[in-house]
Amino acid sequence: MTDVISTHAVAERRHSKAINRIIGRYWLVATLLVMIAVFAFLKPQLLDNSNIATILRSSALMAIMILGLTWVIAAGKIDVSFMQIAALGNMTTAWLLASGSGWALAATCGVAVGAVAGLLNGTLIAILGIPPLIVTIATGGICASIAAALGKGTSIRIADAGLLGDLLFTNWGPVPVIAVIAALFYLISWYAQEKLTFGHYIFALAQNEKAVNEAGIAARSLLLFLFVFSGICSAIAGVLLAASLSSGQPMIGSSYFIDGLTAVLLGGLMLRIGKPNVLGTTTAVLLLSVLVSGSAMVGWADYQRQIVKGVLLLVGVAVAMQFGHRSSSPIQGA
Amino acid sequence: MPKHGIVPAGTVRFLAFAALVFIIGAAFTAVEPRFLSTQNISAVTRHMAANGLAALGLTLVVIVRKFDLSFAGTACFSAMTIGFMIAGGHDLWLCIMAGVLAAAIVGAFNGIAISYFGLPDIVTTIATGSIAGGLAFLYSQGRTIFRNFVTSGILDLNDARLFGYSASFFFLIALYAVAWVFMHRTRYGASFHATGENPVSAYFSGVPTRTYTMMAFIICAITSVFAVVLILAESGTADTNKGATLLMPAYAGVFLGAALLGGTSVLATLAGTLLITMLLDGFSLLGVPYYYSDGVVSAILLTGVVLFDARVRQLFSDLASFIQPVTSASEKRS
Amino acid sequence: MTVPALCAKAVSKRFGRINALDDVDFVLEKGEVHALLGVNGAGKSTFIKILSGVYIKDKGVIEVDGREIDCHNPKDAIRCGIATVQQHPELVADFTGYENIFLGRESARAGFLSGIDRSVLKRRGDELLSRFPVEIDLSRRIEDMSAVEREIIAILQAIGGDHIRILILDEPTSTLTEVEKEVLFRLMNTLRASGISILYITHRLEEVMEIADRFSVFRGGRMISTMTPQQVRDKNLSLAELMLGETLGAVFPDKADPAQLGELVLDVRNLRHQRLFSNVSFQLRRGEILGVFGLVGSGIDELSKVLYGALATDAGSVELNGRKVSPKSPAEALKAGIFLVPGDRRVEGLALQQSSIFNITLANLGRASSFAGFLKRSANRRESEEFAARVALSPANVTMPVSGFSGGNQQKIVVAKGLFADADVYIFVEPTVGVDIGARAKLYGLMRELAMTSGVIVMSTDCDEAHGISDRAFALYKGRQVVPAGGVFTRNELLMAGIIGDATHA
Repeated sequence: MTDVISTHAVAERRHSKAINRIIGRYWLVATLLVMIAVFAFLKPQLLDNSNIATILRSSALMAIMILGLTWVIAAGKIDVSFMQIAALGNMTTAWLLASGSGWALAATCGVAVGAVAGLLNGTLIAILGIPPLIVTIATGGICASIAAALGKGTSIRIADAGLLGDLLFTNWGPVPVIAVIAALFYLISWYAQEKLTFGHYIFALAQNEKAVNEAGIAARSLLLFLFVFSGICSAIAGVLLAASLSSGQPMIGSSYFIDGLTAVLLGGLMLRIGKPNVLGTTTAVLLLSVLVSGSAMVGWADYQRQIVKGVLLLVGVAVAMQFGHRSSSPIQGA
Repeated sequence: MPKHGIVPAGTVRFLAFAALVFIIGAAFTAVEPRFLSTQNISAVTRHMAANGLAALGLTLVVIVRKFDLSFAGTACFSAMTIGFMIAGGHDLWLCIMAGVLAAAIVGAFNGIAISYFGLPDIVTTIATGSIAGGLAFLYSQGRTIFRNFVTSGILDLNDARLFGYSASFFFLIALYAVAWVFMHRTRYGASFHATGENPVSAYFSGVPTRTYTMMAFIICAITSVFAVVLILAESGTADTNKGATLLMPAYAGVFLGAALLGGTSVLATLAGTLLITMLLDGFSLLGVPYYYSDGVVSAILLTGVVLFDARVRQLFSDLASFIQPVTSASEKRS
Repeated sequence: MTVPALCAKAVSKRFGRINALDDVDFVLEKGEVHALLGVNGAGKSTFIKILSGVYIKDKGVIEVDGREIDCHNPKDAIRCGIATVQQHPELVADFTGYENIFLGRESARAGFLSGIDRSVLKRRGDELLSRFPVEIDLSRRIEDMSAVEREIIAILQAIGGDHIRILILDEPTSTLTEVEKEVLFRLMNTLRASGISILYITHRLEEVMEIADRFSVFRGGRMISTMTPQQVRDKNLSLAELMLGETLGAVFPDKADPAQLGELVLDVRNLRHQRLFSNVSFQLRRGEILGVFGLVGSGIDELSKVLYGALATDAGSVELNGRKVSPKSPAEALKAGIFLVPGDRRVEGLALQQSSIFNITLANLGRASSFAGFLKRSANRRESEEFAARVALSPANVTMPVSGFSGGNQQKIVVAKGLFADADVYIFVEPTVGVDIGARAKLYGLMRELAMTSGVIVMSTDCDEAHGISDRAFALYKGRQVVPAGGVFTRNELLMAGIIGDATHA
């Protein structure tokens, strides 16, 4: 019943002309290319091998974190706890390592807590029907607290990044291995989204949950799965970050919050307009990474970037309203 | 469901709530007798003032069936605006008005974008909050402002006492009283309720729904400024993080109160805020580290919403299948 | 003697202390179209819900094709061959017809990991259409389809599983125009010919006479009688009386005496709104009721909204009591003295969780509150009770949430709201949709009362209603106004005017 992108505005639906549709579907890719061109022009170092590797690496981590989130939002729900779940995964791994466990155990547990958090979200939202915003604000708070508590309010140093750390910093030319792995995941996800009933039902869910239920589809199970999957994705990203930074940081997620949501929502504005999808998320993640890297080189401060990202999000939403396929949506209640 | 006036059926819930407060208070006092000391109650009331003020505006937004995730960022922006003005040596009330104005502008932007342009509330307010939070850095490049704070008189707002308790608390109660009268005894409150319950029929009844929705966002932004003023008064400095902590307790207050008292309302929010503040303060008194606070608040919110909301909804849906035949069948007989 | 498609014996169901169904016997023959009639609360919805597995019966036996069945949920019912189409079928707006028909059944293997092949869906859909030919383009999205097309998609979705023998339709025609109804009836005939038995619920008595082989009347939880339309004609029975169980006086009150009409209240000239309607002119006097008949999509809904300020007018003028008015919003229209009783009361007319007092006073908050904005609570309560009495609201409880009232009573609350708004012109759009016979008569009486002091316009897609309640009427045909050449339209002339735009051959 909730569609994060659409509203019950009094605005009339516009019949998009073909050209509008093309602009609407591909403007994000165009923006990405323009941005690369502009920054590269200003600072050619942007296109150095090592810089490209950095961009791709951070893109990969972000992309993994929000893969599940893409589908949660595509299904018409919202999840604002993803970053705190990542932080929890991150700190769990660090804490276990600091207590003497090996990487295998630590990483597995880190991912497992993400699954548990996702299960909590999914049960409350999909099974009990409690509004997703409230639930995820709360579970996010709980995860953040536990993450902070594990480190007694501060970060935990990791002595040895282990295999995972090595993996993260291995590159094939300008392309980090982790980026390839992430791309693989996304390819599989794309297939599931486009060619299997899985993705089909997710989009149906966002439009009309009742219709899906009446067609005999186990909508609740699907939603539950999506939240668990989202939790796992975020936690995996958290574990990877632990290896990448050689430390557990309780506040690891905070910069990812706006970025993550922006990426999913901006990505939702291309191809299937108004519907988050994995290809869109990929493009948007790349765009944001380029923005971060390029703007740092050009000398922007953090807060200036923050403002730009917020504006980008706003613009993106407005564009979706203007060019997209608007379906009249039911009375909202997130 | 907004109630019209104080409904007698709510008396049972109110008594249950009072019992809950009593039990919690007794439990804390049993473990830590200092809980009931004047000093502690004064601290509780002071903290309640800040949380409660932000929650009041949010209540209005939730009543018109929207969400606002920007007021934390707006509060930071206003905080720095006020700090900047204080550092400039201006009269205290002028400084506060400047902060209010800054917030009102953000609130108006939210209101216009969401109400008149039909942009989705959650995403838009995430964006504007982020932008506002970034703008907060503009005043001093992120450095803490503390010039003139001591001489400006702002610290008095924190220190002022009435009957031995914090004056800000009485301000809170007074404001809530005014809000209650406004919402339940005036045509403006009726219009707000109508807009939230069914914007289409409210529009057909001649209620300017778009204006009211916009006003809700403006008021929410303004009350968060009131809250942040208290925070500034307590700390004596302004930095870009003041206000970030307002989000969670405000949502907790509104929704916990709504779950307990059966609907979003001014009174429910006050009740929820009281409960949350008592619990937070009690735990802090018991020596529980600060980083557990968010988690505690979240866990309580979740428990409250699950226990009361889900079950109540279940009950209602069971009753609904009973109520329908009852009404029509009995009517036919009469 | 063929085995009936469905047979119910002594079926009963209680909710708390209420006997929703009391010892109901019912037979549905193979290949027949069988209508269920009855006022709201008579038990027909409960009966349908038991058949479709939504409710579980307390007592009794249900047999399909002679075999006893026991359905505990909708899936069981479908397995037994019973498919149901709701009154407002739930469809996925963004998906095409093909996708909606096969939602959940895209491939032989159930579950989330089956492949979707849209060309296969198209083939299956086209196959279905060849078995049940109907004019429809399944490749369009639901949101672009008309009401009857959506109904057809819902029906195709319901019968998509090959083994469906019984199709239940819940008020399928409530939002359809006369022309669209014929399309639906043709489809129903095709279904019937292929061996599917159809059970359908309707409030439209004329339909029953036209399409049903037999019909059954429910009243007070019991099945009163089953007969054929021919029997009704032969015995000259009144269906309405059968449903109500009492002699009904005329449903429509007397018309006004032309000599007694008052001054000109509304003078509308050449009103236009985009291409939805144009060149609409009429005059309205105090004391008379003006009827407007038009099919869905003819422009009557837009006309009402333009008069009420909810839509802008492109050209033309409106004068109220001699003063020019052009409301840009309902708020302005209310201030000018125009009140609209909207077509969809649940969405447009009421705040369902609030009390009657809240709803009644909402359109005239100025009267309901003092200068400072404080609500005059005791005065409001008193006046609400007075208005509730005047519209015969039952139960006469003004503090209870409006959702607890039946459709007819909810409509009365909207009328009371109009009375409180004290308007000079009242516009009623589709005033008796979903309202049973008893409440209808009361509402018509109220309209006549209102007309004595104000001007009243009644716009409806029901020709009998538009003609019966009004003193004179015109039709809207595809946005064009059709007026009588001289004098007043007869009922048949009005019908023709609205259906084909020309009354001369009525």
